[in-house]
Amino acid sequence: MEQTAVTEMAPVAQADAQEHALLNLADFDEVVRLYRPRIFRFLLASLRDRDTAENLTQDCFLRAYMARERFRGDCSLSTWLMKIAMNLLRDHLRSRRMRFWTRTRESALDPMDVSDWLPDERSSPEESFAARVQVKAVWDAVNKLPANQRSVFVLRFVEEMELKEIAEVTGMNPSTVKTHLYRALAAVRARAGGGA
Amino acid sequence: MRNKTTIRQTEDDAATRRDLEAMAHAIGRFRSAVWHIAEQESSQPMQVQFEQAARRRRSVQRRVMLEWAFAGFAGVAALIPAAGYYRHHQEQARIEQQQQALKQREADAQLLDQIADEVSEAVPDAMRPLAEMDAMYGQNSTGQQGKTNATN
Repeated sequence: MEQTAVTEMAPVAQADAQEHALLNLADFDEVVRLYRPRIFRFLLASLRDRDTAENLTQDCFLRAYMARERFRGDCSLSTWLMKIAMNLLRDHLRSRRMRFWTRTRESALDPMDVSDWLPDERSSPEESFAARVQVKAVWDAVNKLPANQRSVFVLRFVEEMELKEIAEVTGMNPSTVKTHLYRALAAVRARAGGGA
Repeated sequence: MRNKTTIRQTEDDAATRRDLEAMAHAIGRFRSAVWHIAEQESSQPMQVQFEQAARRRRSVQRRVMLEWAFAGFAGVAALIPAAGYYRHHQEQARIEQQQQALKQREADAQLLDQIADEVSEAVPDAMRPLAEMDAMYGQNSTGQQGKTNATN
């Protein structure tokens, strides 16, 4: 019995050791290579601004590198990085609210301009246009969501994370996450109803 | 009746299902769009990404600098007429003050002259009592002399 437990625990311990090893100075490039797309995606979907998402992604890895000694392995490396990104996003949104005006940046993303994103290349121009309109409607609806609801929505539907993991990243109760998700979904459905 | 209700409920269920499917489809497309953009960004070599980010940052910085320069220029442009008006106003106030001071001085001089006139009129001649006394004694002595002459 004890042996079984040890053998079951072995891969977990090995994964933890691997994650710790990844956080070493030499392997940090690998951490960046592995997790950068995920962090960038989350920030891009939340902010809809390429430059800001890029800057915050870099900040996230810089902070992770500075605080690598403090990573105790209570959660997975991915969750830990997501938590850092989440905090950076909150700080950014707070500082943006403090400004008198928010300028439309050059790097602000227009989903209609995103070409060739459809995986099915056989779709007709009409279908392609309809799909873009649909994406724009959803993205606009997501953009109008309150910050917490938006984060939960993006983590669930873009990053396909489990509710428990989302709760860990956002520091919310799982039931609160569920409520936010339900409300976000209802809002997106109501706003993007025509497009969706 | 029950049949109708059942049919309507089935239709409603089908509509809700269709609606949910459309919603799921839309969210799926949104997801693939986000993934695609992120992949596009990540597919570029790091160096290119950094260069692009640096170029965009430089352009933003340049724009911010231009905006500040324009704001400064506009501020100075607005200040010049204001400063001119202020200077003109100050000059006018100074002239008015000078004129008022001149008027005051004239009035003061006039008043002093008037006082001097009045004072000079009011003060009697210092030798007047003596002259008066002399005149009085002169008259008296002449009278007595006449009386003495008449008695003699």
